[in-house]
Amino acid sequence: MPESKKVLTNSDITKLGIRSSLLQASFNYERMQAGGFTWAMLPCLEKIYADDKEKLSGAMTDSLEFINTHPNFVGFLMGLLISLEEGGETRELVKGLKVALFGPIAGIGDAIFWFTLLPIVAGISCSFASQGSVLGPIIFFSVYLVVWCLRIVWTKLGYRLGTKSIDMIKENSEIIANSATILGITVIGALIASYVSITLLPVIKVDGGIKVPVQTEFFDKIMPNFLPMLYTLLMFYLLKKKQVSPVVLILGTIVLAIVCSFIGLL
Amino acid sequence: MEITLIQGIMLAIAAIIIGIDYWLEAFFIFRPLIVSTITGAILGDVTLGLKCGALIELAFAGLTPAGGTQPPNPVLAGFMGTVLAYTTGSTPQIALGLCLPFSFLMQYVILFFYSTFSFFMGKADRAAAQADTGSLIRLNLLTMTIIALTYGVIVFLCTYVAQDAMSAFVNNLPEFITHGLEVAGGILPAVGFGMLLRVMMKAKYIPYFLAGFLMASFCVMPNLLPVALLGTVFALIDYFGAKQRKDDIDEALKNAGQGGNTHAGI
Repeated sequence: MPESKKVLTNSDITKLGIRSSLLQASFNYERMQAGGFTWAMLPCLEKIYADDKEKLSGAMTDSLEFINTHPNFVGFLMGLLISLEEGGETRELVKGLKVALFGPIAGIGDAIFWFTLLPIVAGISCSFASQGSVLGPIIFFSVYLVVWCLRIVWTKLGYRLGTKSIDMIKENSEIIANSATILGITVIGALIASYVSITLLPVIKVDGGIKVPVQTEFFDKIMPNFLPMLYTLLMFYLLKKKQVSPVVLILGTIVLAIVCSFIGLL
Repeated sequence: MEITLIQGIMLAIAAIIIGIDYWLEAFFIFRPLIVSTITGAILGDVTLGLKCGALIELAFAGLTPAGGTQPPNPVLAGFMGTVLAYTTGSTPQIALGLCLPFSFLMQYVILFFYSTFSFFMGKADRAAAQADTGSLIRLNLLTMTIIALTYGVIVFLCTYVAQDAMSAFVNNLPEFITHGLEVAGGILPAVGFGMLLRVMMKAKYIPYFLAGFLMASFCVMPNLLPVALLGTVFALIDYFGAKQRKDDIDEALKNAGQGGNTHAGI
């Protein structure tokens, strides 16, 4: 029977949520976030194993195993694991759950924060900033300040739910990630139309001295933003199917733009 | 315009704070929109910072560290884009093209640290074995200090020390190259959006992608908030649909589990 003794207070868990910001303090290719992960949880572990150096050493050793998860959601995992440590569960259970959960948490975090929230917040705040309004960065910073504060909420949630949260993650992570992707992809469609600009310069001279600018009279009338969409899809194709490195595509785009500028096409 | 020594030092201090934030991915002040605005404020031209920031932010929207891969560095892009526009008098579009070499340089510096910091993990293991918390904390602080100083030194060198050489270089570029860089600045966000699509795009998301693109192409909107709201509606439709399907399946399984020929109610 695992012995159950509550030694952590509510403020310990709040601090754990704040300290989850240290996750990547010693990021490296061998263990990824393991060093910072352990550092963030140290005060809680020290409190739980105050009189038992051997158990503290065991917990530290397990925490130092490879982990790569999402910084904004890691508090949830930390809260969950700390509740297990406090509850006196076996090392195998704690270790097993960490390995089982850090991947799904990383997946859902990437879908929500990098692929959904960032394009939306960037798109909206940049539309202010490009007109010279400081509202842009203020909106951007405020959103991410809220996201940071939510770390404390996730940590408390993980701590309170304990092992119950495992079913919750496994059942819902796919549905949530899917919905987040739909929102993100709608906004990316709009971002392409708003922020990629390709304007053809040539003017076709028709009989009788009539000049037809290719861009405004042809592309813009039939399908505005056709070329930006086409070029973005070309980039997508090269990245996905041909595995071209983004750095090559960035350099290629610059060279192409300079060549087109030289011959007067763009 | 000249960068004074005081401004150079202030930029270096800002780089130390922002560099740490990028290392930890905590408050997201490392995104180019914020970095450029701060740089503009230090140089005394906030409007320039806002305009450069908006452009660079969108070009970097898809270049994320999702999944543990290191993208071109957004911090150096944010600093150098604004600094180059300021010292050379270029447009933000040209500055976007010119800031990229600095962004790539820093990307490789960070990759170097990702590899070398692996050597610290042996030390971390020994600390864990002896439950030596102090040693583990010092190790994490050391890695963070190395990162902080690197950002400070590199930004100081690139901004204050190298400014004359850079403005001489940029001012001697032929017209077709500067125009080409300007054109490239308009197209480069396509690479970032292609990166996002590479991770997110599946055939089932095409309708949402097109809806966002068409809305932004044909509707006049002050910013992208309406598209984000439409995307939320799509996401909710899918979320409830998926929940419903899951409940139906669960119920069907339950009925089937009761055995025999009780297919009624499905």
